[in-house]
Amino acid sequence: MLLAFYGERQMLRLQNVSKRFGEIVAVDGLSLEVREGEIFGLLGPNGAGKTTTVNMAVGILKPDSGSIEIAGIGPPSRPEARRKVGIAPQSLAIYQSLSAQENLEFFGGLYGLGGKHLRERVVWCLAFVGLNERKNSLVKTFSGGMRRRLNLAAALVHDPPLLLLDEPTVGVDAQSRNAIFEKIEELRKDGKTIIYTTHYIEEAQRLCDRVGILDHGKLLALDTVQNLIAAYAGKTTIIAEGTEGRVEVETTDPIGELARLHARGKLTSLNIKNPDLEQVFLNLTGRHLRDV
Amino acid sequence: MNAIINLALKDLRLLFRDRMGFFFTLVWPLGLAILFGTMYGGNRADQPRAVPVIVVDEDGSAESQAFVDSLIAAPEIEVSLASRSEAIERVRKAKAVAFIALKQGFGEASQNPFWGEPPAVEIGADPSRGPETAMVEGILMKYASRRIQDFFTDQSAQREELERARKELRTAENIPERLRSNLENLFASLEGVLSDESYLASDTTESEEGFSGFQPLTITRSEISIRRRGPSSAYAISFPLGSMWALLAVSATFAVSIVHERTRGTLFRLLAAPMTIYHILAGKALACFTAATVVVAGLFCLGYFAFGVVPNSILLLALAIVSSSIAFVGVMMLLSTLGKTEQSVGGASWGILIILSMFGGGMIPLFIMPGWMRTLGTVSPIKWAILAIEGAVWRQFSPLEMLRPCLILIAIGAGSFLAGVHRKLT
Ligand SMILES: Nc1ncnc2c1ncn2[C@@H]1O[C@H](COP(=O)(O)OP(=O)(O)O)[C@@H](O)[C@H]1O
Ligand SMILES: [Mg+2]
Repeated sequence: MLLAFYGERQMLRLQNVSKRFGEIVAVDGLSLEVREGEIFGLLGPNGAGKTTTVNMAVGILKPDSGSIEIAGIGPPSRPEARRKVGIAPQSLAIYQSLSAQENLEFFGGLYGLGGKHLRERVVWCLAFVGLNERKNSLVKTFSGGMRRRLNLAAALVHDPPLLLLDEPTVGVDAQSRNAIFEKIEELRKDGKTIIYTTHYIEEAQRLCDRVGILDHGKLLALDTVQNLIAAYAGKTTIIAEGTEGRVEVETTDPIGELARLHARGKLTSLNIKNPDLEQVFLNLTGRHLRDV
Repeated sequence: MNAIINLALKDLRLLFRDRMGFFFTLVWPLGLAILFGTMYGGNRADQPRAVPVIVVDEDGSAESQAFVDSLIAAPEIEVSLASRSEAIERVRKAKAVAFIALKQGFGEASQNPFWGEPPAVEIGADPSRGPETAMVEGILMKYASRRIQDFFTDQSAQREELERARKELRTAENIPERLRSNLENLFASLEGVLSDESYLASDTTESEEGFSGFQPLTITRSEISIRRRGPSSAYAISFPLGSMWALLAVSATFAVSIVHERTRGTLFRLLAAPMTIYHILAGKALACFTAATVVVAGLFCLGYFAFGVVPNSILLLALAIVSSSIAFVGVMMLLSTLGKTEQSVGGASWGILIILSMFGGGMIPLFIMPGWMRTLGTVSPIKWAILAIEGAVWRQFSPLEMLRPCLILIAIGAGSFLAGVHRKLT
């Protein structure tokens, strides 16, 4: 009971939050709750309002209306609330002329860390993102992937329970991207709550426990990947060819359907199209996410 | 406070890593200070120059005139003649290092170098001119001894003089008995010496020491305080000017660094951290202030040890540097709000700073400027910073005189800082 309650604790709650920039409505009446220990994906095309949402959550932007609460403490305008949050902004926020270690020491210092504790945290963070060997190099000598990883490490120095990762894989090669995924999964194991924004379907599908689909500042749907697919992506398509000829069926029970097809005769080729988040987005917006 | 110091240390580290910033904040001002200082004559103390003195002949005798002539001929001093009151005035205005007054009775006293009071001379100089005054004293002694020496090298005159001296010794009444008998012995042996030609053929320079036991002059000193002293060397002018460039460079560099934080995204992290925008601005201000004071103080340390720029008052110089730095921290804050990009803020900063510098006398001396320019210059922090620093370096400002430019600088700093913060927050 206690555990269930603990798991239900909300690390971030947005209630009817809106933000405009002049004529543009960047975030439009957004409400969502992020539970402790989950990876919450915010999926949407460029310009959907993901970054604006994240920036409001950490207090850098003030919402025009609505309320935000962090970890049951209060709005992000309160420093105690911000202390619980680590952020890896979409646009890199690290000093080019400082070394990796100096960056982390400085940012840790901003959160009041010092002395032995700070040094230990910095060592841990450098090792965690695999930059230990280059800790004394200036950031300006780093590759794009290394900078991204350091940007992530800077969110972790003060060991916050809530992480906001705004498109942490942008501009990163496939290998580094996989490394980042693994690190994020490790963080979840450590009990961190993670908000992960992306415009890549596969990332949301692979990493996230729950996904909110955002478009034009509006939350179109929010659930686990499975439930979203079940609710919005329609059925599985099975295209089979065999002694009986070619058949194409849509089904909600692909295993059962396959068994039936198999019983009817020998199958020579089989193509199963599982519905995915792409399909969910298409069905919700009438557009392909990849196209926008 | 820890957060602010943490922020400031980071900025100082970044400044140190930024080669251009480092160049313009330290190397460039130092280069200018040395270049202009050397161009305009460098350190006067380096070249041994004749010490300017004024001679006042209050005796008007042939002997005093002869002594004046020997002083005029002396290469170590540059003699001009004047009345006593005029001489005092000129020493006050630092037009001459000292005056030398040949007192009444100088001629009479020099008639007999062996007893009675030696001729009296008064030196008037500022107490701070100790070394020069001592040197003048030495020169006077040297030329006075030389006269006595001349007296002995001219043989016939010597014999005559000796004869006359012995006669006077016999008739003189106020001479103690022991001195009289000693002198008689001395004269007797002198006569012996003078009649032996071989002695006199020998090198005369030897005899210079022979008379050191005599006091050829009585010298009294009187103190005349200088009203306003000029700069001790061209470096005393060029180092304050160089320090202005350091202040300009520091404020422009930090103005750009504030914009840099925004365009490079690092401001984001600062804002997301559990502190307020005021901490961030205070951190910038502290870093800028530290850089300004350290660079200017460093410049003057170099000036002191390598170029002989000795400030009148180290304490007042520290006050001037602190006040000037405060002014430029404020200016920096205001400059940082002038644009959205590094280029626009950097360009605007340098443009404005150069205008401030021009009108404030940072490039051409204020006295050459037309009146309206000078009036405009009164709003320039450069003008007050130069005044304060020069006040401490060579203008000999009293603490009270120092207060005015320093308070104005602090007011400029506070005013522009608040204006900058206000613009930033809205
Ligand atoms: N500072 C800003 N000024 C004006 N418009 C902005 C600003 N930030 C974001 N926007 C606009 O708000 C919308 C949402 O942007 P953003 O939150 O960055 O989207 P995302 O992160 O999902 O790509 C976009 O149309 C963007 O152009
Ligand atoms: Mg974004």
